[in-house]
Amino acid sequence: MPAFTNPFDPEVHLGCSCGSHASQSEHDQSEEALNRSVIETAVMRALFPQDALRRKFLNAVGAGTALAAISSMFPFGALEAMAQEKKPPEKKELKIGFIAITCASPLIMADPLGFYREQGLNVQLMKTAGWALIRDKMLNKEHDASHFLSPMPIAISMGLGSAQQPMRVATIQNINGQAITLHVKHKDKRDPKQWKGFKFAVPFEYSMHNFLLRYYVAEYGLDPDTDIQIRVTPPPEMVANLRAGNIDGFLGPDPFNQRAVYDEVGFIHVLSKDIWDGHPCCAFGVPDAMIKDAPNTFAALYRAVLTAARMARDPKNRSLIAKVIAPPNYLNQPETVIEQVLTGKFADGLGNVKNVPDRADFDPFPWHSMAVWILTQMKRWGYAKGELNYKQIAEQVFLVTDARKYMAQLDMKAPAASYAKFKVMGKEFDPAQPEKYIGSFAIKKSA
Amino acid sequence: MSFLLVQDLAKRYPGSTVFEGLNFAMEKGEFVCIIGHSGCGKTTILNVLAGLDAATGGIVIMDNREVSGPSLDRGVVFQGHALMPWLSVLSNIAFAVKSRWPEWNRIQVQVHCQKFIDLVGLTGSEHKKPSQLSGGMKQRVGIARAFAIQPKMLLLDEPFGALDALTRGTIQDELVRICTATRQTVFMITHDVDEAILLADRILLMSNGPNACIAEAVENTLPRPRDRHNIHHDPQYYRVRNHLVDFLVNRSKLYQTGETARTAQPPVSRPGISDGDESSAKIINLRH
Amino acid sequence: MKLESLKAGVLSLAFLAVFLGIWHLATLPKVQSQGAMDEYAKLMGKGVKKSEGFPTLGQMREAFVTHISDPFYDRGPNDKGIGIQLGYSLGRVALGYLIACLVAVPFGFLIGMSPLLYRALNPYIQVLKPISPLAWMPIALYTIKDSGISGIFVIFICSVWPLLINTAFGVASVRREWLNVAKTLEVKPLRKAFAVILPAAAPTILTGARISIGIAWLVIVAAEMLVGGTGIGYFVWNEWNNLNLTNVIFAILVIGVVGMLLDFLIAGLQKAVTYVE
Repeated sequence: MPAFTNPFDPEVHLGCSCGSHASQSEHDQSEEALNRSVIETAVMRALFPQDALRRKFLNAVGAGTALAAISSMFPFGALEAMAQEKKPPEKKELKIGFIAITCASPLIMADPLGFYREQGLNVQLMKTAGWALIRDKMLNKEHDASHFLSPMPIAISMGLGSAQQPMRVATIQNINGQAITLHVKHKDKRDPKQWKGFKFAVPFEYSMHNFLLRYYVAEYGLDPDTDIQIRVTPPPEMVANLRAGNIDGFLGPDPFNQRAVYDEVGFIHVLSKDIWDGHPCCAFGVPDAMIKDAPNTFAALYRAVLTAARMARDPKNRSLIAKVIAPPNYLNQPETVIEQVLTGKFADGLGNVKNVPDRADFDPFPWHSMAVWILTQMKRWGYAKGELNYKQIAEQVFLVTDARKYMAQLDMKAPAASYAKFKVMGKEFDPAQPEKYIGSFAIKKSA
Repeated sequence: MSFLLVQDLAKRYPGSTVFEGLNFAMEKGEFVCIIGHSGCGKTTILNVLAGLDAATGGIVIMDNREVSGPSLDRGVVFQGHALMPWLSVLSNIAFAVKSRWPEWNRIQVQVHCQKFIDLVGLTGSEHKKPSQLSGGMKQRVGIARAFAIQPKMLLLDEPFGALDALTRGTIQDELVRICTATRQTVFMITHDVDEAILLADRILLMSNGPNACIAEAVENTLPRPRDRHNIHHDPQYYRVRNHLVDFLVNRSKLYQTGETARTAQPPVSRPGISDGDESSAKIINLRH
Repeated sequence: MKLESLKAGVLSLAFLAVFLGIWHLATLPKVQSQGAMDEYAKLMGKGVKKSEGFPTLGQMREAFVTHISDPFYDRGPNDKGIGIQLGYSLGRVALGYLIACLVAVPFGFLIGMSPLLYRALNPYIQVLKPISPLAWMPIALYTIKDSGISGIFVIFICSVWPLLINTAFGVASVRREWLNVAKTLEVKPLRKAFAVILPAAAPTILTGARISIGIAWLVIVAAEMLVGGTGIGYFVWNEWNNLNLTNVIFAILVIGVVGMLLDFLIAGLQKAVTYVE
């Protein structure tokens, strides 16, 4: 990528063309200007391969004359339009599936706040009855893109638990934002060691909820396959089941943790951010076919969702978002419940008002290391078997390059690396050593 | 050649024989009744004649053609009236008429049906459903339906068995009237001896089943026209009647065991005449 | 007769009154400590109307008025008025039921007329008949891949059996003597089928139709709950998600009433073809 400095300035040295030396000024420029200077720089570089020559030329005729002269030969306007990434989308009418939970806030709020329309897309958000249907409707192409649980695109691309189809994670929808909620009768059983024989619900097998729950109880010495019962239950039914006493607790998505508190049947035992701060939860996924066959649509969607994510990250906007996604068309929950989840000021069910502003966050960056962690847990509990090429799968499914590209277009900061070490419940995870990590656990599925 | 010829008719089931070696004939315009105890196979004969049942052996020839299945040439009046309960009186008869003459239009059919409704005395009940009719009326519809197709031969299977005596009498009168007017060839099964004497020209006596046979063909020696109210005054009446009753009570069972010999053709008897009463012979006017 | 109907009507209303009375008593709001509303209480929604457990009669009345006063609103694919939802469901039922009729009646005829076919096909019918729609759904989704068509298929496969069996039975039980009449009148097979067998078997066939429509309506609600989209079943599920029992109860009452109306419809047809023997 060429450096984005003014090529008509004779005093400026055009830097090297690798583009990794992006300076702050480029980020301040708008997209259009960015594109414009890209083209202008390219033309100038082509005309004057030797930089010294360019500077001499400019000193001789002056910037204005130079620009006029060259514009008459090179139609910058047309070139600019051609180079514009914002080409009209191939497919304008899209159906996007979602589950009515706060994790999907970015992709939901993009509808009432007009972000999809801005990008030239006519999106219909289809509230779907469960994760199995989310998967099926993507596999049979009834939906064009979908809200997923982060592990799902990995599992689907690998053909685990479903027919195999290449599915990609464009962005992570949200990080944190889950909790372990227990029945009010277990107020005095806060130590997980006392949970032997308890029944827990999770929304889906291939979910962060399942993996986090297992990790959590395993750290306290319980084997999640033998010491507790884990059931798959749709999130709204989690609260009903809790009330009926069919389950003792659940690790589920919000707003149902807060709803359990609101309905006075449960209390929040621990927030998921206290298990792994920054863990991914849900993802925005597209089939690989869309990226290849409808790249403009893909780009437009990406921008819309990222715009929403950017807005959602700002704590100032959280109340507005709660208001906008509460109606029956979207989440269909009381506004105050959603607001408590998004703002982090909430009642915990035990008589306390807690203030945890980053209870839920919406960082869209799809770290490869997240994917590798998911893969290690899948192997640990027997969902995936055999030799796994962790790096390859992670890099295939989690689209870091695209994320960086579109985040850049929208002035969002993207980290330089895509692998990072992080801590889960105090224990460090090194993405470069996945097998060692799996081996380091005492409790795992017996082979 | 007789109009109807039955030769060596037999009906057997594995292990039993209903009847075999049946021989009789009928002329056109003749009214023949067949009498016998229950289970002797009368209805089976009728079903074979109607084409609803197949004989195990023997042959039936009507109007020089072999009878091998049901036909519009042989109309049937069933024991239960067999009216279709979802159709009105008119529609029931029309159903038959349309089967016979499918090319007729609605008016033609209706006019034809009306004739026969009037004939059986049911004018005014054209649009009633069978459930709204009494037993006698229903049976009359059955008769009207059978007559309406103007079959070559009419088969009646104990048509008045389910009726009370009063109704029966009235309809019998009608039947006599119609048959006289139309010269219809009729084969009728009955239990009622008096009915047979009133209606029939010839009465076939069937022995008891199994292994039944036609024991006798009795010629009805009473003169026509016959009137139900006066018939019993005729001296021939009781001679014929006693002959028939005597057969039913005493002689019908003798054929099974072979006590009375069977003959290929049933012997003809003329009660009252074969007795040798000369004066009676003069009075007798065998046919109309 | 009129007196009997009146008596029955009065008794019916009396039952309803008792039932509503019990409901009212059972859902009387418990005395709430109206203490100072601290922040915690606010967050827990105290003092605000929220659906706590079973709805009161007042809440039910409100829900009725809200939904029925504006039955055709459309605020997006996931939020439509009750009228529109019912429309979608009825449309699916109509289609699935129609296909079931088109398959069941001819096949039923064939099976009824041929004892051989009946014996041959009966085992399959008996095995397929008891399968619940919830079990058919995943198979349908997997093979048909389209959730709309799957829904209609599931309606068809569940409602076809009573109609089929009753048609076969009705056809097989046509009185011998009517068939004999047709025989002696040399009635051709097609005319016999339409003019004799069909009217004779019609009451039995329509009994089957009545049972089938009941099943079809039952199935559509279950199917829509599973699959989502638009429809009364989806409406129930969506309100269930919000743990809004008031709306759920409202929805099941609507389902019951519509089911009753569908039954009335077919019963009317049944009356038209019934005859007295």
